[in-house]
Amino acid sequence: MTTFRAGFALPLEELRDEFDRLWTSLTTAPPLHGWGVRPEGVFPAVNVRETADALTVEAELPGLEAADVEISVTGAELMLRGARPQVEPKPAGNGEPAAEQVVWHRRERGTGGFERRISLPVAVDPAGVEARLVDGVLSITCPKAAEAKPRRVEVRSA
Amino acid sequence: MNPQAVIDQSSAPGAEATEQPAALTFQPNVDIRDVGGEVSLIADIPGANAAGIEVTFEDGVLTMHATVPPREQPGRPIRQEYGIGNYRRSFRLGEGFDASQITADYARGVLTVRVPRLAAVRPRKVEVRAG
Repeated sequence: MTTFRAGFALPLEELRDEFDRLWTSLTTAPPLHGWGVRPEGVFPAVNVRETADALTVEAELPGLEAADVEISVTGAELMLRGARPQVEPKPAGNGEPAAEQVVWHRRERGTGGFERRISLPVAVDPAGVEARLVDGVLSITCPKAAEAKPRRVEVRSA
Repeated sequence: MNPQAVIDQSSAPGAEATEQPAALTFQPNVDIRDVGGEVSLIADIPGANAAGIEVTFEDGVLTMHATVPPREQPGRPIRQEYGIGNYRRSFRLGEGFDASQITADYARGVLTVRVPRLAAVRPRKVEVRAG
């Protein structure tokens, strides 16, 4: 039971404060389906969007070239396969000792092979799939299969 | 000289909390490679471009900041596993680095910053001569 400090308006003020707190926590929280839930170990993370005619799948693949990624589509499933290269930048300066020791202070980027299957909500037309890899961002446009596209039905007047 | 010369001690102080909420800012994943003569910081910042990347080195703190241009976002989202926004991250490197020789390259969504150590502080291997 709450003890009121004074006057009848205080409970209302407390209620308002409570709402303010709630509002702040909601507006500053990460989006429900957003970047807070990038699952550990799942690579690459993808964003999928839908238009009337197509599905677009976007994935972040920093360090990869187009030739490093294999994309295949069957029905309503998209598969991404490839490997992240091991980045070994050469020392810029000359005269480095040959047998120098390499120390990694941090390794967050990850390397190695990956394979990911993404279920799409509708079947797509494999022949029409187009992909581009620019600055580490892979964008795949998958036109929906003809039977999956919305159809406009003409209403005939009698 | 400062004994805590190398990196691990600090990451991203993230001091500036006054960014506009409209533009999200993310911490990129970073590899840090030390070969004695230089330290390379390799950061994943997909979707940026060289013109929008700023690398600064001040008081022993290296900061990388990338402004990522908005991308085409057709239709409605049906699955969203990552957000799109700018990148920012800082590392305290300490002393003994040659700020004038720092280079930064951006390719395929990866930023590589090379920070050479001053010649005076580079580790040297001393040959032991047999008498």
